[in-house]
Amino acid sequence: MSKATLYAPQDVPFELREINLAEASDDDLADISNESGTGLSVDEMRIIKEYFGRKGRNPTDVELQSIGQAWSEHCCYKSSKVFLREYVFGINNRHVMDRGDAGVMEFDRDHAYALRVESHNHPSAVEPYGGAATGIGGILRDVLCMGAQPIALVDPLFFGPLDYPFAKLPEGIKHPKYLLGGVVAGIRDYGNRVGVPTISGGVWFDDSYVGNCLVNVGCIGIAEKDDIRRNAVKGPGDVLVLVGGRTGRDGIHGVTFASAVLTEESETESRGAVQLGDPIMKEPVMHAVLEANERKLVNGMKDLGGGGLSCVVGEIALAGGCGADVDLTKVPLKEEGLAPWEIWVSESQERMMLSVSSRNLDKVLHIFKLWDVPATPIGRIVRDKRVRLHYKDVKVFDLELEFLTAGPEYCRPCAASTARRTRKERPPKARGNYNDVLLRLLSDQNICNRDWVIRQYDHEVRANTILKPLQGKIGHWSHGDAAVLKPVEESFRGLAVATASNPFAVGVDPYRGGKTCVDEVCRNLAAVGARPHSLTDCLNFGNPEKPDRLWQFREAVRGIGEVAKDLNLPIPSGNVSFYNESPTGSVLPTPTIVGCGIVRDIRKCVTSDFKREGDPLLLVGETRPEMGASAYYRKTRGYSSKVPDVDMRALKAGIDIVVDGVERGAIVACHDISDGGIAVALAEMCIGGDIGAKAALDLLGRLRSDAKLFAESNSRWLVEVKKGKERQLRRDRATKVTKIGHVGGDRLDISSGRRLVDVSVDRIARKFNEPLWRMVG
Amino acid sequence: MKASDARVCVLRIEGTNCEEESFQCFKRLGAKPEKVHLKQLTGTDVSSDERRSLSDYQLLVLPGGFSAGDYVRAGAIFAARLRSRLSEDLKEFVRVGKPVLGICNGFQILVETGLLPAMSGIMADVPEAVLGTNDSARFECRPTLLKKVNRGNCVFSTRIPDDKISLIPSAHAEGKLMFPVDRAKYVIKELEDNDQVVFKYVDPDGSIAGYPWCPNGSTENIAGICNREGNVFGMMPHPERVFFRFTHPDWTRSPDGDGDGRAVFESALDYVSKKM
Repeated sequence: MSKATLYAPQDVPFELREINLAEASDDDLADISNESGTGLSVDEMRIIKEYFGRKGRNPTDVELQSIGQAWSEHCCYKSSKVFLREYVFGINNRHVMDRGDAGVMEFDRDHAYALRVESHNHPSAVEPYGGAATGIGGILRDVLCMGAQPIALVDPLFFGPLDYPFAKLPEGIKHPKYLLGGVVAGIRDYGNRVGVPTISGGVWFDDSYVGNCLVNVGCIGIAEKDDIRRNAVKGPGDVLVLVGGRTGRDGIHGVTFASAVLTEESETESRGAVQLGDPIMKEPVMHAVLEANERKLVNGMKDLGGGGLSCVVGEIALAGGCGADVDLTKVPLKEEGLAPWEIWVSESQERMMLSVSSRNLDKVLHIFKLWDVPATPIGRIVRDKRVRLHYKDVKVFDLELEFLTAGPEYCRPCAASTARRTRKERPPKARGNYNDVLLRLLSDQNICNRDWVIRQYDHEVRANTILKPLQGKIGHWSHGDAAVLKPVEESFRGLAVATASNPFAVGVDPYRGGKTCVDEVCRNLAAVGARPHSLTDCLNFGNPEKPDRLWQFREAVRGIGEVAKDLNLPIPSGNVSFYNESPTGSVLPTPTIVGCGIVRDIRKCVTSDFKREGDPLLLVGETRPEMGASAYYRKTRGYSSKVPDVDMRALKAGIDIVVDGVERGAIVACHDISDGGIAVALAEMCIGGDIGAKAALDLLGRLRSDAKLFAESNSRWLVEVKKGKERQLRRDRATKVTKIGHVGGDRLDISSGRRLVDVSVDRIARKFNEPLWRMVG
Repeated sequence: MKASDARVCVLRIEGTNCEEESFQCFKRLGAKPEKVHLKQLTGTDVSSDERRSLSDYQLLVLPGGFSAGDYVRAGAIFAARLRSRLSEDLKEFVRVGKPVLGICNGFQILVETGLLPAMSGIMADVPEAVLGTNDSARFECRPTLLKKVNRGNCVFSTRIPDDKISLIPSAHAEGKLMFPVDRAKYVIKELEDNDQVVFKYVDPDGSIAGYPWCPNGSTENIAGICNREGNVFGMMPHPERVFFRFTHPDWTRSPDGDGDGRAVFESALDYVSKKM
């Protein structure tokens, strides 16, 4: 069919087209999907065609665009839902209060905390500064719209190696160094300006991220229980008030851009899908929203993220069992001349939707006026579950919500790739001495000091950060395992936040890798004295239409779900990001897990740096020859498919021993063992404390020396115990507690039968501290 | 006047973001702080019960943050709004000896309004100093050690023992205090003669040291200054972030005692209770 018959411009004083689905062939349907930029498949287009066939009319462009947003992978999780439901949705306990745009968990009798992490990968790959900044903006709104004050940001980031040769860089791809600089600056300039501390995160480097970096952003919030709101209207008669930024052409088709692989042309074609952030609009939006909410003037809220108005109006209305009439003419615009469909799907930033009873409307508008934040009533909630849109007195949209929001759900084919079974085990050559290996590991991009990044983020604004991301003696610092906040003025109860991801392990064995990620986040929380309480996850994978990618996803989610379920750790929010592929291939399968833990009394918390000469040093947990995906094997080009597994009984026992030891004041320093094994963990504790240690690993059993030093077996911690308090450490048959040495001197000295490592603390500190500064300055 | 009767105006506009913790410091010490939007003082868009007057307060605090985004020189926009609408109220506030505290962005604002260093008079017509971009050219959040060098003029440091090294963290991109090149030497001497220098960045031994102990390259390592009368005071580091010991970056090594920032707020309330 010709273009002219497919699209019928309507006789109205603005751009509006009717789309002739009724007479469209399958080829036409594909063309329409392409031309509209909605990314709907032909099958999906047929469902839409049938629906309008039953209605006896054709859709407008506004309607088709809206369905395209609602049915995108990004919005309706059509490829992932089936697995998420099977493995993670069901984990529940009495502390879960809501699962909205952010999850809400009970903090104490009167307070709740909100948590969420999501991805902003594709925008950041095209425009790192703006992409990362608006990622922060979006996640803040997810927490804010639950009625919670954002109190912490979390940023796990994944890039190609910083020394990646320019000559190898594919067409249209930006260099990792440029991307890292831009992303960190974007997070810094947005997060610092809105006054929310960035307290946790991580930076990972691997060749697979060269073409498609990953930028995950998480946020934690706190609220009195009374102030928690649902993302739902109260009922018919509610007024929909659009607050915050104006609407423009930035961020059109963000969700469809996020639901397709990156190409060489992404830079030119999709630049407009990246939004523009404005933290100094967001900052007063937060004040005004929270004030209106605390004064009980708001019935429900929701943030405008992916899909913009088109998603928020339908979802907030349907969640309250209603529909809405909206006048698009009222939406404040950045520029004249936007077509109604553009206004409806634009993802311009800093916008929120409030549902307000009409008697409270003036009070709400007054609060926003004081903060100079635009607030505009644009519609009204109605009884029947449909949305009707008018623009300049013309009806441009009339859809039943149950159709609009009932996106398709797929059970796509899923199978392991055959290549993975054929790789041979190849252990590296044993050595006489491992000084050199340890120093090389400490200066590895994936292990070295991240202070270059962390110090650019304000991690203590709000003055509630009890344990900071960098820990140690003044003038010396290494990485902490978790940060701890004291969110309530009149209480010493703390909230610990930790981030974990191990794409290398997930890449070799997604099921065990998934389990490892949860184990790691729990270890991190326990290390500061926190009991794991809830998780939120961002699952970054390749194209789900490819069976091997989807298999990785399923296996990782199965692993995550299994450990979380066994620990009764709910995952009340999360995010899936597929299509992380570029011409150079797929990224490593990358689940990032943000964990929250409860600290009973923050005055008991411990940091990772060694404290006192002469204190005994103990190892909690068992070391096994599980070397697959270890930093050591990667560095020495060894290979093993044996990725660390999780022994659930040992994990639980280990958490109990460590948290109990911290609470009793027996443990004065604790560090979880992850990348680089015992050797790297010891080194980091020495660096932060500016003091040496002597450790003998003979009691670890019949293992190769390199396995003792560098194995990354799960559920292990190194603890410094106050002299004379060793017996206070609980024992449990499910795991081992082994005394391996003591703190002291100015060298790190590790032996097992013979001396394996002997290096001065100054030297390891230099190796650990310098690389990032040297590479990015 | 009792410290518990002292009304503290914690002034804010969009982008001010350290108001909550600054407010809490005064509240914990028993004073009566209030978060006040600038428009409540100028009477724009506010109802009669929201209207406030600067003269109702005994203490004015300009908290940290990125007021109006700080997209031009830090503090310049907030300062311009203050000067255009509240010049007379501010001058009167300072003239009668009421204390004014500017932390981080607040310090930048005080310099931009001409209330600091205020070499002659109460409020200079044009800024006499600037808080320039850090030598590292980026925002840095790090622990800093401060030595009190004030000989007793500044009302915000009276409770800090002489020569004590206080751990008060910094977090800013523009904290390098500079003076007009041709007059710098003269200004510095004048500041010292007038006892207007309050804090200097030092290393753990208490000696003047370079980066990172001095996080920004500030002239003479100066971290905070006051006016000639000692009642207007600005500093780049954040005392409100170390009110308690357990927010010190290394508190697990020595958990006992108060936070080093607390004395700044206590000094101010001491002054209010004695002088007013």
